[in-house]
Amino acid sequence: MNIQDKPDLQQKLAAEYVLGTLRGGARRRFETWLRSDRPLQQLVTQWQGNLLPMAEFSKAAQPSAGVWQALEKRLDLNRTQRANAVEDRWAFWRNLHEDLSFWRGLGMFSTAAALVLVSLLLSKQQVEPALPVGNYVATLSDDKAQPIAVVSGDTKRRQLVIRMVAAQHIAADKSLELWAVYKDGKVRSLGLVASQGIITLPMPEYMSEQATPLLAVTLEPKGGSGNPEKPTGPIVFKGSWLQT
Amino acid sequence: MDTGQLHIWLAAVANKDAGAFRSLYDASSPKLFGFALRILSKRELAEEVLQESFVNIWNNAGSYQPSLAAPMTWMTTIVRNRAFDLLRRLDHDVEIDADNFDMEVMNALEANDPTPIESLQLTQDAKALARCFARLEGLHRQAMALAFYHDLSHSEVAEQMKLPMGTVKTWIRRGLDKLRTCLSKLESA
Repeated sequence: MNIQDKPDLQQKLAAEYVLGTLRGGARRRFETWLRSDRPLQQLVTQWQGNLLPMAEFSKAAQPSAGVWQALEKRLDLNRTQRANAVEDRWAFWRNLHEDLSFWRGLGMFSTAAALVLVSLLLSKQQVEPALPVGNYVATLSDDKAQPIAVVSGDTKRRQLVIRMVAAQHIAADKSLELWAVYKDGKVRSLGLVASQGIITLPMPEYMSEQATPLLAVTLEPKGGSGNPEKPTGPIVFKGSWLQT
Repeated sequence: MDTGQLHIWLAAVANKDAGAFRSLYDASSPKLFGFALRILSKRELAEEVLQESFVNIWNNAGSYQPSLAAPMTWMTTIVRNRAFDLLRRLDHDVEIDADNFDMEVMNALEANDPTPIESLQLTQDAKALARCFARLEGLHRQAMALAFYHDLSHSEVAEQMKLPMGTVKTWIRRGLDKLRTCLSKLESA
Protein backbone atom coordinates (compact mmCIF):
# COMPACT_ATOMS: atom_id res chain seq x y z
CA MET A 1 0.00 0.00 0.00
CA ASN A 2 1.17 3.50 -0.76
CA ILE A 3 0.39 6.09 1.89
CA GLN A 4 2.50 8.91 0.49
CA ASP A 5 -0.38 10.59 -1.32
CA LYS A 6 -2.84 10.02 1.53
CA PRO A 7 -2.18 12.79 4.06
CA ASP A 8 -5.24 11.97 6.20
CA LEU A 9 -4.18 8.36 6.55
CA GLN A 10 -0.61 9.44 7.37
CA GLN A 11 -1.93 11.68 10.14
CA LYS A 12 -4.13 8.94 11.56
CA LEU A 13 -1.38 6.31 11.50
CA ALA A 14 1.26 8.64 13.00
CA ALA A 15 -1.13 9.69 15.78
CA GLU A 16 -2.15 6.14 16.68
CA TYR A 17 1.49 5.02 16.43
CA VAL A 18 2.47 7.57 19.09
CA LEU A 19 -0.64 6.95 21.21
CA GLY A 20 0.13 3.22 21.04
CA THR A 21 -3.11 1.93 19.53
CA LEU A 22 -1.48 1.04 16.18
CA ARG A 23 -0.76 -2.65 16.67
CA GLY A 24 0.55 -5.84 15.10
CA GLY A 25 1.17 -5.95 11.36
CA ALA A 26 -0.03 -2.39 10.85
CA ARG A 27 2.53 -1.12 13.38
CA ARG A 28 5.36 -3.12 11.82
CA ARG A 29 4.48 -1.85 8.32
CA PHE A 30 4.37 1.70 9.65
CA GLU A 31 7.80 1.29 11.25
CA THR A 32 9.20 0.05 7.93
CA TRP A 33 7.91 3.18 6.14
CA LEU A 34 9.15 5.34 8.97
CA ARG A 35 12.76 4.26 8.45
CA SER A 36 13.00 5.87 5.00
CA ASP A 37 10.18 8.44 4.92
CA ARG A 38 11.36 11.84 6.17
CA PRO A 39 7.94 13.59 6.12
CA LEU A 40 6.44 10.67 8.02
CA GLN A 41 9.23 10.97 10.63
CA GLN A 42 8.37 14.65 11.01
CA LEU A 43 4.72 13.76 11.49
CA VAL A 44 5.64 11.32 14.27
CA THR A 45 7.83 13.99 15.89
CA GLN A 46 4.89 16.40 15.77
CA TRP A 47 2.56 13.87 17.36
CA GLN A 48 5.10 13.15 20.08
CA GLY A 49 5.15 16.88 20.78
CA ASN A 50 1.34 16.87 20.84
CA LEU A 51 0.69 13.82 23.01
CA LEU A 52 3.71 13.22 25.28
CA PRO A 53 2.86 16.24 27.47
CA MET A 54 -0.15 14.15 28.60
CA ALA A 55 2.37 12.51 30.95
CA GLU A 56 2.46 15.75 32.94
CA PHE A 57 -1.25 15.36 33.77
CA SER A 58 -0.46 12.59 36.25
CA LYS A 59 0.11 13.51 39.86
CA ALA A 60 3.72 14.37 40.58
CA ALA A 61 5.44 12.09 43.08
CA GLN A 62 8.78 12.26 44.86
CA PRO A 63 11.06 9.26 44.20
CA SER A 64 13.03 8.02 47.21
CA ALA A 65 16.53 9.42 47.76
CA GLY A 66 17.92 6.00 46.86
CA VAL A 67 17.30 6.60 43.16
CA TRP A 68 19.68 9.55 43.02
CA GLN A 69 22.23 7.74 45.19
CA ALA A 70 22.15 4.77 42.82
CA LEU A 71 22.64 7.11 39.84
CA GLU A 72 25.60 8.81 41.54
CA LYS A 73 27.21 5.46 42.08
CA ARG A 74 26.45 3.91 38.69
CA LEU A 75 27.57 6.93 36.69
CA ASP A 76 30.44 7.83 39.03
CA LEU A 77 29.09 11.36 39.26
CA ASN A 78 31.24 12.44 42.19
CA ARG A 79 34.39 11.82 40.21
CA THR A 80 32.94 13.65 37.19
CA GLN A 81 32.12 16.55 39.46
CA ARG A 82 35.69 16.72 40.77
CA ALA A 83 37.07 16.57 37.23
CA ASN A 84 34.81 19.42 36.20
CA ALA A 85 35.79 21.52 39.17
CA VAL A 86 39.19 22.10 37.56
CA GLU A 87 37.65 24.02 34.69
CA ASP A 88 34.32 25.01 36.06
CA ARG A 89 32.76 26.58 33.02
CA TRP A 90 29.32 25.56 34.18
CA ALA A 91 29.19 26.62 37.77
CA PHE A 92 27.55 29.85 36.72
CA TRP A 93 24.71 28.22 34.77
CA ARG A 94 24.16 25.71 37.49
CA ASN A 95 23.76 28.24 40.20
CA LEU A 96 21.54 30.61 38.34
CA HIS A 97 18.26 29.02 39.30
CA GLU A 98 19.22 29.14 42.95
CA ASP A 99 20.22 32.75 42.80
CA LEU A 100 16.88 34.12 43.83
CA SER A 101 18.23 36.64 46.28
CA PHE A 102 19.66 38.45 43.30
CA TRP A 103 16.21 39.21 41.99
CA ARG A 104 15.23 40.96 45.13
CA GLY A 105 18.43 43.01 45.01
CA LEU A 106 17.95 44.14 41.45
CA GLY A 107 15.24 46.63 42.38
CA MET A 108 13.13 45.69 39.41
CA PHE A 109 10.23 47.85 38.29
CA SER A 110 6.90 46.78 39.67
CA THR A 111 4.99 44.27 37.55
CA ALA A 112 2.37 46.85 36.67
CA ALA A 113 4.97 49.37 35.47
CA ALA A 114 6.72 46.69 33.44
CA LEU A 115 3.44 45.67 31.80
CA VAL A 116 2.71 49.25 30.80
CA LEU A 117 6.15 49.44 29.19
CA VAL A 118 5.60 46.17 27.32
CA SER A 119 2.28 47.35 25.94
CA LEU A 120 3.85 50.67 24.96
CA LEU A 121 6.59 48.82 23.13
CA LEU A 122 4.14 46.48 21.43
CA SER A 123 1.85 49.28 20.27
CA LYS A 124 4.87 51.16 18.94
CA GLN A 125 6.05 48.11 17.03
CA GLN A 126 2.72 47.76 15.29
CA VAL A 127 3.27 50.93 13.29
CA GLU A 128 6.75 49.83 12.27
CA PRO A 129 7.18 47.78 9.09
CA ALA A 130 7.46 44.03 9.60
CA LEU A 131 11.00 42.69 9.91
CA PRO A 132 12.29 41.41 6.56
CA VAL A 133 12.88 37.67 6.20
CA GLY A 134 16.37 36.56 7.15
CA ASN A 135 16.55 38.72 10.26
CA TYR A 136 16.53 37.59 13.84
CA VAL A 137 14.76 38.50 17.03
CA ALA A 138 14.77 37.49 20.70
CA THR A 139 12.61 38.56 23.62
CA LEU A 140 14.63 38.32 26.81
CA SER A 141 12.58 37.61 29.92
CA ASP A 142 13.37 37.29 33.58
CA ASP A 143 12.71 34.22 35.74
CA LYS A 144 9.09 35.31 36.14
CA ALA A 145 8.62 35.33 32.35
CA GLN A 146 8.46 39.13 32.44
CA PRO A 147 9.86 40.56 29.16
CA ILE A 148 12.81 42.85 29.91
CA ALA A 149 14.47 43.45 26.54
CA VAL A 150 13.93 42.86 22.83
CA VAL A 151 16.98 42.12 20.68
CA SER A 152 16.74 42.27 16.89
CA GLY A 153 19.47 41.32 14.43
CA ASP A 154 19.81 42.93 11.03
CA THR A 155 21.83 40.54 8.85
CA LYS A 156 22.45 43.17 6.11
CA ARG A 157 23.81 45.87 8.38
CA ARG A 158 25.36 43.30 10.71
CA GLN A 159 23.82 45.09 13.63
CA LEU A 160 22.11 44.08 16.85
CA VAL A 161 19.56 46.48 18.32
CA ILE A 162 18.80 45.98 22.01
CA ARG A 163 15.72 47.76 23.39
CA MET A 164 15.10 47.63 27.09
CA VAL A 165 11.37 47.18 27.56
CA ALA A 166 11.68 47.52 31.30
CA ALA A 167 14.44 49.83 32.50
CA GLN A 168 16.75 48.14 35.02
CA HIS A 169 18.19 49.79 38.09
CA ILE A 170 21.59 48.31 38.71
CA ALA A 171 24.30 49.26 41.16
CA ALA A 172 26.88 51.81 39.97
CA ASP A 173 29.67 49.23 40.10
CA LYS A 174 27.85 46.73 37.85
CA SER A 175 27.29 46.28 34.10
CA LEU A 176 24.89 44.17 32.05
CA GLU A 177 26.56 41.92 29.45
CA LEU A 178 24.89 40.13 26.52
CA TRP A 179 25.97 36.58 25.57
CA ALA A 180 25.28 34.12 22.76
CA VAL A 181 24.82 30.61 24.21
CA TYR A 182 25.48 27.58 22.00
CA LYS A 183 23.97 24.13 22.14
CA ASP A 184 27.29 22.65 23.23
CA GLY A 185 27.33 25.01 26.20
CA LYS A 186 29.95 27.43 24.88
CA VAL A 187 29.19 31.12 25.32
CA ARG A 188 30.50 34.25 23.60
CA SER A 189 30.18 37.83 24.73
CA LEU A 190 28.35 40.19 22.39
CA GLY A 191 29.08 43.30 24.43
CA LEU A 192 27.68 45.43 27.21
CA VAL A 193 24.08 46.64 27.16
CA ALA A 194 22.57 49.73 28.74
CA SER A 195 20.18 49.41 31.67
CA GLN A 196 17.56 51.41 29.76
CA GLY A 197 16.81 52.80 26.30
CA ILE A 198 18.10 51.43 23.01
CA ILE A 199 21.66 50.54 22.08
CA THR A 200 23.24 48.90 19.05
CA LEU A 201 26.09 46.39 18.94
CA PRO A 202 27.87 44.76 16.00
CA MET A 203 26.32 41.43 15.00
CA PRO A 204 29.03 38.76 14.54
CA GLU A 205 28.67 36.55 11.47
CA TYR A 206 28.40 33.39 13.54
CA MET A 207 25.05 34.55 14.85
CA SER A 208 23.42 33.88 11.49
CA GLU A 209 25.75 31.17 10.19
CA GLN A 210 24.98 28.62 12.84
CA ALA A 211 22.22 28.21 15.33
CA THR A 212 22.57 30.40 18.41
CA PRO A 213 19.81 28.85 20.49
CA LEU A 214 19.84 31.34 23.30
CA LEU A 215 20.74 34.91 24.22
CA ALA A 216 21.33 35.73 27.86
CA VAL A 217 22.21 38.86 29.83
CA THR A 218 24.32 38.54 32.96
CA LEU A 219 25.10 40.95 35.74
CA GLU A 220 28.85 41.60 35.70
CA PRO A 221 31.34 43.89 37.43
CA LYS A 222 31.56 47.36 35.87
CA GLY A 223 33.03 46.99 32.36
CA GLY A 224 32.02 43.34 31.90
CA SER A 225 33.31 39.92 32.80
CA GLY A 226 36.73 40.53 31.20
CA ASN A 227 36.69 37.11 29.53
CA PRO A 228 34.67 37.00 26.27
CA GLU A 229 34.05 33.27 26.73
CA LYS A 230 33.14 33.20 30.40
CA PRO A 231 30.54 35.16 32.34
CA THR A 232 31.09 35.59 36.07
CA GLY A 233 27.68 36.75 37.28
CA PRO A 234 24.14 35.33 37.29
CA ILE A 235 21.79 35.39 34.29
CA VAL A 236 19.20 38.12 34.76
CA PHE A 237 17.20 37.61 31.58
CA LYS A 238 17.32 35.32 28.57
CA GLY A 239 15.41 34.26 25.47
CA SER A 240 15.57 32.19 22.28
CA TRP A 241 17.23 33.67 19.19
CA LEU A 242 14.79 33.12 16.36
CA GLN A 243 14.90 33.74 12.62
CA THR A 244 11.98 35.88 11.45
CA MET B 1 8.72 24.35 34.55
CA ASP B 2 10.91 26.63 32.43
CA THR B 3 11.73 24.96 29.11
CA GLY B 4 14.66 27.31 28.43
CA GLN B 5 16.24 26.31 31.73
CA LEU B 6 15.81 22.60 30.97
CA HIS B 7 17.54 23.23 27.61
CA ILE B 8 20.52 24.81 29.35
CA TRP B 9 20.85 21.91 31.80
CA LEU B 10 20.55 19.30 29.04
CA ALA B 11 23.29 21.07 27.06
CA ALA B 12 25.48 20.96 30.16
CA VAL B 13 24.66 17.28 30.79
CA ALA B 14 25.86 16.58 27.24
CA ASN B 15 29.21 17.92 28.51
CA LYS B 16 29.05 15.48 31.43
CA ASP B 17 28.29 18.16 33.99
CA ALA B 18 27.18 16.30 37.11
CA GLY B 19 25.87 19.46 38.80
CA ALA B 20 23.59 20.31 35.87
CA PHE B 21 22.46 16.66 35.86
CA ARG B 22 21.44 17.00 39.49
CA SER B 23 19.49 20.19 38.74
CA LEU B 24 17.78 18.53 35.79
CA TYR B 25 16.91 15.52 37.96
CA ASP B 26 15.53 17.67 40.78
CA ALA B 27 13.38 19.73 38.41
CA SER B 28 11.97 16.92 36.27
CA SER B 29 11.98 13.73 38.34
CA PRO B 30 8.73 14.36 40.31
CA LYS B 31 6.76 14.65 37.05
CA LEU B 32 8.58 11.77 35.36
CA PHE B 33 8.32 9.55 38.44
CA GLY B 34 4.62 10.39 38.83
CA PHE B 35 4.09 9.31 35.24
CA ALA B 36 6.05 6.05 35.65
CA LEU B 37 4.07 5.37 38.82
CA ARG B 38 0.74 5.69 36.96
CA ILE B 39 1.98 3.19 34.37
CA LEU B 40 3.49 0.64 36.75
CA SER B 41 1.48 1.37 39.92
CA LYS B 42 4.31 0.05 42.17
CA ARG B 43 6.92 2.42 43.59
CA GLU B 44 9.86 0.02 43.30
CA LEU B 45 9.10 -0.67 39.62
CA ALA B 46 8.66 3.03 38.86
CA GLU B 47 11.94 3.83 40.65
CA GLU B 48 13.76 1.17 38.64
CA VAL B 49 12.42 2.76 35.45
CA LEU B 50 13.32 6.27 36.63
CA GLN B 51 16.88 5.19 37.37
CA GLU B 52 17.31 3.46 33.98
CA SER B 53 15.81 6.47 32.23
CA PHE B 54 18.24 8.91 33.84
CA VAL B 55 21.19 6.66 32.97
CA ASN B 56 19.89 6.88 29.40
CA ILE B 57 19.49 10.69 29.65
CA TRP B 58 23.07 11.04 30.96
CA ASN B 59 24.47 8.87 28.17
CA ASN B 60 22.41 10.33 25.34
CA ALA B 61 22.06 14.03 26.18
CA GLY B 62 24.63 14.69 23.44
CA SER B 63 22.30 13.38 20.77
CA TYR B 64 19.31 15.39 22.00
CA GLN B 65 18.13 17.76 19.24
CA PRO B 66 16.30 20.84 20.53
CA SER B 67 14.78 21.50 17.11
CA LEU B 68 12.95 18.16 17.20
CA ALA B 69 11.54 17.91 20.70
CA ALA B 70 11.08 19.95 23.86
CA PRO B 71 13.27 18.67 26.73
CA MET B 72 10.29 17.26 28.68
CA THR B 73 8.97 15.53 25.54
CA TRP B 74 12.36 13.94 24.94
CA MET B 75 12.73 12.76 28.54
CA THR B 76 9.11 11.58 28.75
CA THR B 77 9.61 9.47 25.60
CA ILE B 78 12.56 7.74 27.29
CA VAL B 79 10.59 7.09 30.50
CA ARG B 80 7.52 5.84 28.63
CA ASN B 81 9.55 3.44 26.46
CA ARG B 82 11.37 2.06 29.51
CA ALA B 83 8.15 1.71 31.50
CA PHE B 84 6.37 -0.07 28.62
CA ASP B 85 9.36 -2.42 28.18
CA LEU B 86 9.06 -3.41 31.83
CA LEU B 87 5.27 -3.64 31.57
CA ARG B 88 5.61 -6.12 28.70
CA ARG B 89 8.19 -8.15 30.61
CA LEU B 90 5.67 -8.35 33.47
CA ASP B 91 3.09 -9.43 30.91
CA HIS B 92 0.94 -6.40 31.82
CA ASP B 93 0.31 -7.90 35.23
CA VAL B 94 -0.30 -4.56 36.97
CA GLU B 95 -3.35 -2.78 38.27
CA ILE B 96 -5.02 -0.36 35.90
CA ASP B 97 -6.60 2.67 37.44
CA ALA B 98 -8.98 4.65 35.24
CA ASP B 99 -8.01 7.92 36.95
CA ASN B 100 -4.75 8.67 35.25
CA PHE B 101 -4.87 12.41 35.73
CA ASP B 102 -4.20 14.35 38.88
CA MET B 103 -7.38 15.59 40.56
CA GLU B 104 -6.31 19.20 40.10
CA VAL B 105 -5.81 18.64 36.35
CA MET B 106 -9.17 16.85 36.09
CA ASN B 107 -10.95 19.75 37.78
CA ALA B 108 -9.21 22.26 35.53
CA LEU B 109 -10.24 20.27 32.43
CA GLU B 110 -13.85 20.18 33.60
CA ALA B 111 -13.99 23.87 34.56
CA ASN B 112 -15.88 26.26 32.33
CA ASP B 113 -13.17 28.90 32.17
CA PRO B 114 -9.47 28.56 31.26
CA THR B 115 -8.08 30.13 34.46
CA PRO B 116 -7.47 26.88 36.40
CA ILE B 117 -5.45 25.43 33.49
CA GLU B 118 -3.17 28.47 33.44
CA SER B 119 -2.39 28.08 37.12
CA LEU B 120 -1.33 24.40 36.87
CA GLN B 121 2.35 23.52 37.32
CA LEU B 122 2.85 22.40 33.72
CA THR B 123 5.13 23.18 30.77
CA GLN B 124 3.64 25.41 28.07
CA ASP B 125 3.23 22.35 25.81
CA ALA B 126 1.20 20.56 28.47
CA LYS B 127 -0.95 23.64 29.07
CA ALA B 128 -1.72 23.81 25.34
CA LEU B 129 -2.71 20.15 25.39
CA ALA B 130 -4.86 20.74 28.48
CA ARG B 131 -6.68 23.63 26.81
CA CYS B 132 -7.52 21.35 23.86
CA PHE B 133 -8.32 18.35 26.08
CA ALA B 134 -10.83 20.50 27.94
CA ARG B 135 -12.87 20.74 24.72
CA LEU B 136 -13.16 16.94 24.38
CA GLU B 137 -15.79 14.83 26.07
CA GLY B 138 -14.67 13.21 29.29
CA LEU B 139 -15.10 9.66 28.02
CA HIS B 140 -13.11 10.39 24.85
CA ARG B 141 -10.32 11.79 27.01
CA GLN B 142 -10.44 8.71 29.20
CA ALA B 143 -10.17 6.35 26.22
CA MET B 144 -7.08 8.20 24.97
CA ALA B 145 -5.49 8.35 28.41
CA LEU B 146 -6.01 4.60 28.98
CA ALA B 147 -4.23 3.81 25.70
CA PHE B 148 -1.46 6.35 26.34
CA TYR B 149 -0.73 5.41 29.95
CA HIS B 150 -1.21 1.67 29.91
CA ASP B 151 -0.05 0.53 26.49
CA LEU B 152 -3.56 -0.71 25.66
CA SER B 153 -4.93 -1.62 22.23
CA HIS B 154 -8.39 -0.52 21.03
CA SER B 155 -9.91 -3.78 22.22
CA GLU B 156 -8.19 -3.58 25.62
CA VAL B 157 -9.42 0.00 26.11
CA ALA B 158 -12.93 -1.20 25.13
CA GLU B 159 -12.69 -3.99 27.70
CA GLN B 160 -11.59 -1.57 30.43
CA MET B 161 -14.39 0.86 29.65
CA LYS B 162 -16.97 -1.89 29.03
CA LEU B 163 -17.83 -0.47 25.63
CA PRO B 164 -17.93 -1.91 22.10
CA MET B 165 -14.57 -1.73 20.33
CA GLY B 166 -16.04 0.20 17.38
CA THR B 167 -17.14 2.98 19.72
CA VAL B 168 -13.71 3.26 21.32
CA LYS B 169 -11.99 3.28 17.92
CA THR B 170 -14.23 6.09 16.70
CA TRP B 171 -13.81 8.12 19.89
CA ILE B 172 -10.02 7.88 19.79
CA ARG B 173 -9.88 8.73 16.09
CA ARG B 174 -12.15 11.76 16.53
CA GLY B 175 -10.34 12.82 19.69
CA LEU B 176 -6.98 12.79 17.89
CA ASP B 177 -8.44 14.74 14.95
CA LYS B 178 -9.90 17.38 17.25
CA LEU B 179 -6.65 17.67 19.21
CA ARG B 180 -4.67 18.24 16.04
CA THR B 181 -7.03 20.96 14.80
CA CYS B 182 -7.12 22.63 18.20
CA LEU B 183 -3.34 22.51 18.78
CA SER B 184 -2.51 23.89 15.34
CA LYS B 185 -4.98 26.74 15.97
CA LEU B 186 -3.26 27.53 19.26
CA GLU B 187 0.13 27.46 17.55
CA SER B 188 -0.87 29.89 14.82
CA ALA B 189 -2.74 32.16 17.25
